[in-house]
Amino acid sequence: MNIYEQVLNGKPGEKALLLGNEAIARGFLEAAVGVAATYPGTPSSEVGDTLSEIAKEGNFYFEVSVNEKVAVEVAYAAAISGLRSFAFMKHVGLNVAADALMSIAYSGVKGGMVIMTADDPSMFSSQNEQDNRHYAELAHMPMIEPSTPQEAKDYLIRAFEISEKLGMPVLFRTTTRVSHMRAPVVLGPKEDRLVMAGSFPGHLAHVTLPSFSIKSRKALTVRLEHAGVISQQTDLNRLEVFGNGEYGFITSGSAYNSLVDVIRKHSIGAEILKVGMSNPLPEERIASFLMNHDYIFVVEELDPYLEQKVRVIAQREGIPVLLHGKLDRTFPEEFEYNADVIERSLAEPLKLKLEVHEVPMVVQQVPPRPPVLCPGCPHRATYYAVKRAVRMSGIKDVTYSSDIGCYSLGAYEPFEMADVLLEMGGSLGAASGLGKLTGSHVIAFVGDSTFFHAGMPALVNAVRNGSRLMLVVLDNSTTAMTGQQTNPGLPYDGMGNPAKPVSIEEMIRSTGVQNVETVDPYDLKAFLPAVMRSLKSEGVSAVVARRECAILRDRELRKGKTMPVYVVDTKKCGLCMNCVTNFSCPAIDIKDGHISIDPDLCDGCGVCSQPMVCPFNAIIPGVRNGI
Amino acid sequence: MEYNVIIAGVGGQGVVTLGSVIAESAMDARLNVVMSEIHGLSQRGGSVSVEVRIGDVRSPITPAGAADLILGLESIEAFRVLDKANSNTLVLVNSRHMTPVYLSIRGKEYPDIRELARSAGNTARIHFMDAENLAREAGSERAAGTALLGAALSMTSIPFDAHNVHSALEKRFSGRLYDINFDAFERGEKAGIEVLEGRGDYIQAGKAAIGR
Repeated sequence: MNIYEQVLNGKPGEKALLLGNEAIARGFLEAAVGVAATYPGTPSSEVGDTLSEIAKEGNFYFEVSVNEKVAVEVAYAAAISGLRSFAFMKHVGLNVAADALMSIAYSGVKGGMVIMTADDPSMFSSQNEQDNRHYAELAHMPMIEPSTPQEAKDYLIRAFEISEKLGMPVLFRTTTRVSHMRAPVVLGPKEDRLVMAGSFPGHLAHVTLPSFSIKSRKALTVRLEHAGVISQQTDLNRLEVFGNGEYGFITSGSAYNSLVDVIRKHSIGAEILKVGMSNPLPEERIASFLMNHDYIFVVEELDPYLEQKVRVIAQREGIPVLLHGKLDRTFPEEFEYNADVIERSLAEPLKLKLEVHEVPMVVQQVPPRPPVLCPGCPHRATYYAVKRAVRMSGIKDVTYSSDIGCYSLGAYEPFEMADVLLEMGGSLGAASGLGKLTGSHVIAFVGDSTFFHAGMPALVNAVRNGSRLMLVVLDNSTTAMTGQQTNPGLPYDGMGNPAKPVSIEEMIRSTGVQNVETVDPYDLKAFLPAVMRSLKSEGVSAVVARRECAILRDRELRKGKTMPVYVVDTKKCGLCMNCVTNFSCPAIDIKDGHISIDPDLCDGCGVCSQPMVCPFNAIIPGVRNGI
Repeated sequence: MEYNVIIAGVGGQGVVTLGSVIAESAMDARLNVVMSEIHGLSQRGGSVSVEVRIGDVRSPITPAGAADLILGLESIEAFRVLDKANSNTLVLVNSRHMTPVYLSIRGKEYPDIRELARSAGNTARIHFMDAENLAREAGSERAAGTALLGAALSMTSIPFDAHNVHSALEKRFSGRLYDINFDAFERGEKAGIEVLEGRGDYIQAGKAAIGR
């Protein structure tokens, strides 16, 4: 039984080895939620990947929305129609959805609504490590935080119950190490699902004009007071005692796991208040916890969110307590916490004996291996062609504005074609300004999914305000970086049903851009002149570089066992090094002074064999021995 | 009880899959297990390491120096995670070499592994193993990790046995892939015994006998 079948059909009481995100998908089924909407983003993506696989059989609606704001709005629509709904995204995705979020708190919902944010301490795959617990405060919404896959599943069900009790959405926060932690999960019963048809939300029931919002503002305060009572009583916030329980620890999320490991290793007498509901906090329980301990440590990742609130409670209640956290620099402010970090921070105040462990010298000698574009990736050909075209056009002053996706890797060597890279859709917004306000040739790179997500309004802005820029859409016909999800340009939706694709070229032309060319990035001979023509355009011009993601292509080729391969004819090779220095496919390397191609890595795209990459025609089709 | 395994390799090599097989094996032996996975940006081509922690632990992150077993699916990647090793850690290094683009761009070739091994000295008990070839004999290079796991099981005491691995393989693979992985695992087990008995074409780092 594969994981998806286990999530879908696993019996109550069974133990399954699930990723946090897969456990959340199971929780979704156990809570009998009718609607799910998302925009993919690491570390939240596998929730959607799992739901997408089981949506039809599971009899619920799943949508990959155009962006996070729309995902939240679709889920909200379901919730005010009486259905349980779930919107989920990565932490920065909640920024996109924040406008909707703030008003939804005022509007309230009928069916349970949970909004998941997956934060990314240490920025494994993100542009920042913002702490989304602040959104709970900002939006006046309850927040629930699990520490393990088991809790992720169980707490999601609780979040829906709380949401319905309060008539408002509940925020559900994971971090990378919770979403991407795999552990045994005991499955619970799945409820029988009702047909998912919503009912009329109510005449004038969800309007947030000022005259309406003034009334709902006080209701919001009352709702949050009720939430405070829940937080006071719930076992989502719980106490755990180790040894004599001398030192008090307040912690949550992933930090809790590492803290327990440290407490056990050093046999620290400790009492832990594990916070599973982080907004509103159980203030009275915290006050009595503070009274029971002379020393308190607040152990939390990212901002001193809990610590500040705990300090306020101590001050307000006049509790004399020695409190250690980030604000007194006992714990570091940045990056994720593991047992090593926590142990080092506690060493001095608790006089722990630490074993000295030095990083062995050899680790420093290992050459770095940052992520690279895959063999056969069409983006490599695109960057190679654009770079050549710029040079051949004699353009010296060029500014590259890039965006979020696999093609962000174009910022690394050998291309280094990103001078600006902020957030989803930011390439076009920044390019709109740069093209208007500098004399530089501005080239904006954006992927297909990102173009739909937030690129379109910025394109309108550039055209409307007379900016000069060349837009390159790197259309690999998928949302690749997060795991090949669908997007509006593709002929199927999140459920796997046929859907009408939206044409990127037509969207661009409809804004008034005249010079729009579509090219195959594998065809360098046609691609190069297209870019050169586009670079001569006044105003906004566009090149759509369309070629399917190599991972998808390889999967298909492997099925048919027809994957071609290329080899180097060393007699012809002039050792000019262009293929390794400027094209830099991971399948091409140097062995014993010769250029060679690793057949296990080569995906047979053949771009390196073109004269524009190999002027000696030394890279030729070879014969593959099995796939 | 606590037993920590680290699998190091390059994105796309099946690092996560091997981690799952080990985690399922531990679960089959009725042990607690937590595992950290890497998804997203380095889907293919970047350094990837996955940690499987078995026993009385909560966090999926292995503390520095606490690894009991390191399986390197790619040669230099095994050395990259040696900060998690101690002098008792068994490190099995696959013969697979993938030159980082970082080197090729600079006109450099794959580093001399024997030199890295010398430099590692007694940091850990490092063994090289042609798991790639064992897996090829079983039907696919992609089963090299399973062969390494088999060898590890023969060479050191892991808190689960071959039967647990068999049922984990059954869970993770079906049809021909299962057969290949089962075969690769058995070949790995045999190769591990040969290493213990001082036979076979396997090299131990830190010893004068390096070189082949």
